[in-house]
Parts: sequence; C-alpha cells; structure tokens
Amino acid sequence: MLGDLSGNLMLGLSTALSIENLLYCALGVTLGTFVGVIPGIGALATMSMLFPITFYLDPTSAIIMLAGIWYGSSYGGSIASILLNLPGTPSSAVACLDGYPMARQGRAGIALFMTTMGSFFGASVGIILMVLFAQPLVALALSFGPSEYFSLMVLGLIAASVISDGSAVKAIAMILLGVLLGVIGLDIQTGQTRFTFGMINLMDGISLVALAMGLFGIAEVTSSLRQAPGAVLQRITLRSMIPTRDDVRRSWMPMVRGSSLGSFFGIMPGVGPTVASFIAYAVEKRVAKEPQRFGKGAIEGVVGPETANNATDQAAFIPTLVLGIPGSATMALILGVLIIHGITPGPSMITDRPDMFWGVVMSFWIGNLLLLVLNIPMIGIWVRLLTIPYHYLYPAIIVFICIGVYSVGSNVFDVFLVIVFGLLGYGARTLGFPVAPMLLGFVLGPLMEQQFRRTMLMSGGKLEVFMLRPMSAAFIVLAALLLTWSIWAAYRHRERTDPPAAESPSA
Amino acid sequence: MRDHRDIIGGGALAAIGTGAAIHAMMSLRLGTIFQMGPGLFPAGVGILLAVLGLVLLVGGLVKQGAPIEFDLRSIVYICLSVGAFALLIRSFGLVPAITAVVAIASRADARLSPLGVAILSLVLSGMAVLIFQVGLKLSLSAFNWPW
Repeated sequence: MLGDLSGNLMLGLSTALSIENLLYCALGVTLGTFVGVIPGIGALATMSMLFPITFYLDPTSAIIMLAGIWYGSSYGGSIASILLNLPGTPSSAVACLDGYPMARQGRAGIALFMTTMGSFFGASVGIILMVLFAQPLVALALSFGPSEYFSLMVLGLIAASVISDGSAVKAIAMILLGVLLGVIGLDIQTGQTRFTFGMINLMDGISLVALAMGLFGIAEVTSSLRQAPGAVLQRITLRSMIPTRDDVRRSWMPMVRGSSLGSFFGIMPGVGPTVASFIAYAVEKRVAKEPQRFGKGAIEGVVGPETANNATDQAAFIPTLVLGIPGSATMALILGVLIIHGITPGPSMITDRPDMFWGVVMSFWIGNLLLLVLNIPMIGIWVRLLTIPYHYLYPAIIVFICIGVYSVGSNVFDVFLVIVFGLLGYGARTLGFPVAPMLLGFVLGPLMEQQFRRTMLMSGGKLEVFMLRPMSAAFIVLAALLLTWSIWAAYRHRERTDPPAAESPSA
Repeated sequence: MRDHRDIIGGGALAAIGTGAAIHAMMSLRLGTIFQMGPGLFPAGVGILLAVLGLVLLVGGLVKQGAPIEFDLRSIVYICLSVGAFALLIRSFGLVPAITAVVAIASRADARLSPLGVAILSLVLSGMAVLIFQVGLKLSLSAFNWPW
C-alpha cells in the first residue's frame, strides 16, 4: 500500500515535471493570478475562454493548465481585496473585511505575505488529503452501480444549491434549466432528436463553450462595467512584507483551522470556496479572545479565510476526479475537458490512466510552489496591474471570447449562441438568479438521465430500488435532510428578519 | 409588497418548464418507467421546473424585493459586437472582425477614443494572429475577401 503510494507519486512527479506540463502549469497559474487580481473577470470566465485551446492539448496538460487558473485566481484575488477593498474573486471577498484596514494601517505587505503563506498551507493540506484518500475512495466508488451514481448526483446538486449563498429554490430551478438545456440534441439511447426545432446545428447539443462563455464571460463583463475601480495604490517592498513575531504567532492557528474547514467543505460536493471562506471568518471571530479587533485589521481574519478557500480549491478535485461528480461549475468544466477527450471520468480513470491522475495531483504542488514565487518576490508586477483601466481590458476579453468560441468548430452558429446565453446570463444576474448552478445541471443532466434509465432497466421499472440499496439510500436520505434543513432555516430567517432581509452576510 | 425580480424570473422559469414539458409530451415518445422513451426525462424535469418557477412567482408577490438594475446600453453594445464578429469572421477574416468588436464594444462605456480603438484593435489582432494562427495553427485567416 505504502510502496504503491510512493510509486504513484513518482509516476505523477515524472508526468508533472515534463517540460510541456511544467510550461502549461506555469501558464495556468500565471493567468490565474492575473485574472484573480483584476476585478470583473474570474477563473470561470477565463477557464471557459481557454477551454477551446484544450482540444489541441494532451488531456493531462489541459487539466493541469485549467486547474492552475482555478487555484491561481484565489492567490491573486486577495491582492485586490487587500489593496483596493474590492474582491478580485468572490472567494476573496472576506479578505476585504480585515485586509483593507491592514493596508490602511500601512501593513499591506504583511497582509499579502501572510495570505500567500496561508494559501500555500491550505492548498498543501488539500493536496495531501487527495493523495491519501484517492485510493480508498476509488475502491468504494468501483462498487457503485447506476442507482448509487444517480443518488450521489442528486445529493451533490442538492448540496450545491442548499449551501451556496442565496435562495435554494432559485438554485435548484436554475439547475433544472441547465438540465433541460442538456437534453437538447440527439438522445443517445434512441437516436431521436430532442428540442432541436429542426435546427441541424443543435443536433450535437449546445456547445459547452458557448454556454459557459455567454453565461460567465459576456454577463460578467457587462455587470462589471459599472463598477470598474479607480486604483489608489501603495508600493509594496519585500521589506514591508516581513511579518512581526506577533503576526506569525497569531496566524498559526487560523491556518490550521482554515485548512481543516476548507478541506472538509471541498470534499463535500457543492460547497465552494466562497462559502468556506465566509465560514472560516465567522469561526475565527467566534474563537478570538478579542472579537472587537475584527474588521479593524485583525490578521486572523485575513489568514483564516484565505487558507480555507485554497484548501477548498484543491479538495474540490477529490469528488470531481475520483467519482466523476463535479461539485461546482468550475469542476464541471474540468470534467468537460475529460469528456471531450473521450475519457470517462470516475474511479476507472485512476486505474486506467494513473499517469494522468497522479500527474495532475503532483502538478498542484508545483503550481502552488510557483505561486509562492509569483506572489512574494514578484508582487510588484501584480500591484501595478491593478492600474490598467478596465475600458482597455473588456473589449479585449470580448475579442478572446469570440475567437475562442468560433475556433472550436469554425461554427458561426456557436458565436450567435453566445449572444443568447449572454443575454440569459445577464438577465438572470440582474434578477438575482444564480447562473453557476445552470452549468452544473447542464453537465450533470445527461449523466443523470443515463444512470436513471439504466437503473430503471435493471430494476424492471421499480423506483424503490433507490431506497433498497444501502449506499444509494444513504445519499437520498442525506439529500432529503439537507433540503428539509434549508427550508427550515429559510423559514426561521424570514421570521427573524422580516421586514426586508439583509443582502450580505455581515459575520 | 412585491419582489419584481422573483416575479419575472419565476414566471419565466415556469413558462420555460411548462413549454418544455408540453413539447416533450406532444412530440416525443414517453415510454414506460421500465423502458423510458426519449420524452419522459425532459417532461419530468420540465414539470419540476414549472412548479419551482411558480413557487418563486407566488413568493415574489408577497415579499419585498430589491429594484432591478438593468444596464441596457452595455448589454446591447456588447451583444452587437459579438454579432458583428459572427457576421464578419467567415467572409472578411480575423482583423476586420476584431476591429469591429473593439469599435462596437468600446461604445458600451464610451471611454475609449478613436485612436484608442485603433491601437487596441491593432494590438489584439497581432496577438490573435500570433496565438491562434502561428501558435495553435488554426485555420483562421487574418484577411479574407468574399467576392
């Protein structure tokens, strides 16, 4: 077992250290930091923009690069939060609460240094968990039949909508809308076209790239046009980054707590880094000896959440790569890369393509080491980036969206689809309906239908089979419990905060 | 007390769900639960969506909500720029399509001068040719002439 593990790690290391993969890893984390720093464009939009390029890459390199964007953006996100009081990524929003006050006290350098260390610590814990739990989870997952897979996906979707911020009903409705969009095209089992309305371009279904770019790219650019920031910056020198002995002493435990919280939420399907960071902040404030320091530049309130969101980023790969069930829209994109390359995600991938799985895991280590270099000695570059005016950036983003979508199949129809989904995404955003669950439903929908139909065929059409197999029943019961809890919590919340509810959690 | 955002959003979702369910039931074979036809799953999902949409709509009627902030100008210009790209790319090529995107999209906040548009288009065209044509060897020509 232990020899097995070290063999796997060596295999992974040799894959990750190939020149090509190193290059894509570096490219991914640099781009990730870049879009993390810049408010108004997130990891999801960037990943969908680069998605078409991954068709031309080896799938391992493709995932290494996209994953780099994902965890790199968490590092970059806190830079804007601390210096501008404007979160570069949603998961770094909490870092504003105490990070910006620290910057105003002239302690920006220390805040940046300690968040980077915390991020690295959190990511490392997440990666170690992945290494340790992959094998046992695979053994468990291999015993799953279609009923277990269906129930697990139901649980994942319910968890994603219940725990995410905002109304669970809205999130579930948006998932269903995504599932419906996923139905469009040829039905694999009967060969019949569904919902194509006679359009040949819809026969193969809606392009994932066009959907993601419309929903996230176009909609994100449009909604950040109004809030483009004017930067007021201070110079960050290496000397100003050295923390005092007191800072280090205070940060140690928040890192440990943040990483355990973050990894726990990462493994659970559906809980993203944003939720993890908010909870980590609440926990730090709860356990603090002087909670009144929070909001006035308490280093614990910066380090804890930033550690937690990075741990979540890494641990989120566990359900995605091991079970083939993505917990978030970003992970759904990673899964999309695999599917497009003809690789069935799930436990068999690890046994069939160990070089790929372990290569990706080991690349996380390398990527995080690169991020340390990018975020400490080279911090000045990123700070200067914050001064690029947004009116130069956003036309460029749209150009890359257009070329990206068009290049997938040289299909003009897909570019028009971007407009449709851009309008849909922006409309949903202005109405306060979350769009990320839609993408999740779009990717998971076809898989769910397939597993459901298989289960029905095998059981002779008996729905109770989902409750008769123990693992499947456990997932369903858990999903039902989560749903009941959320309804109860929403009811209590309304009673307490009637009239109008507060918008942001002011933990 | 009204939450217009939930009323519109819930109503739209309910309409989409109902439409999808009706379409699935009318034009696709439903089959039995044992031998599911292509229409059964979308019909089920459609009905569920219609119910949730209705729940949101009714909820919106009895609670207070935030006002809708819809930036019509930005979304129109940005969608137009994407449409211009779609129309130009095949017949005229990469550089004209990129220039059109920059020129139209930059109208959304109108902070870029004509000179800025020219410079940005030039830089982006150069980058696009380098990345997509030279680097990834895609069959995208910089200029085309349709006739």
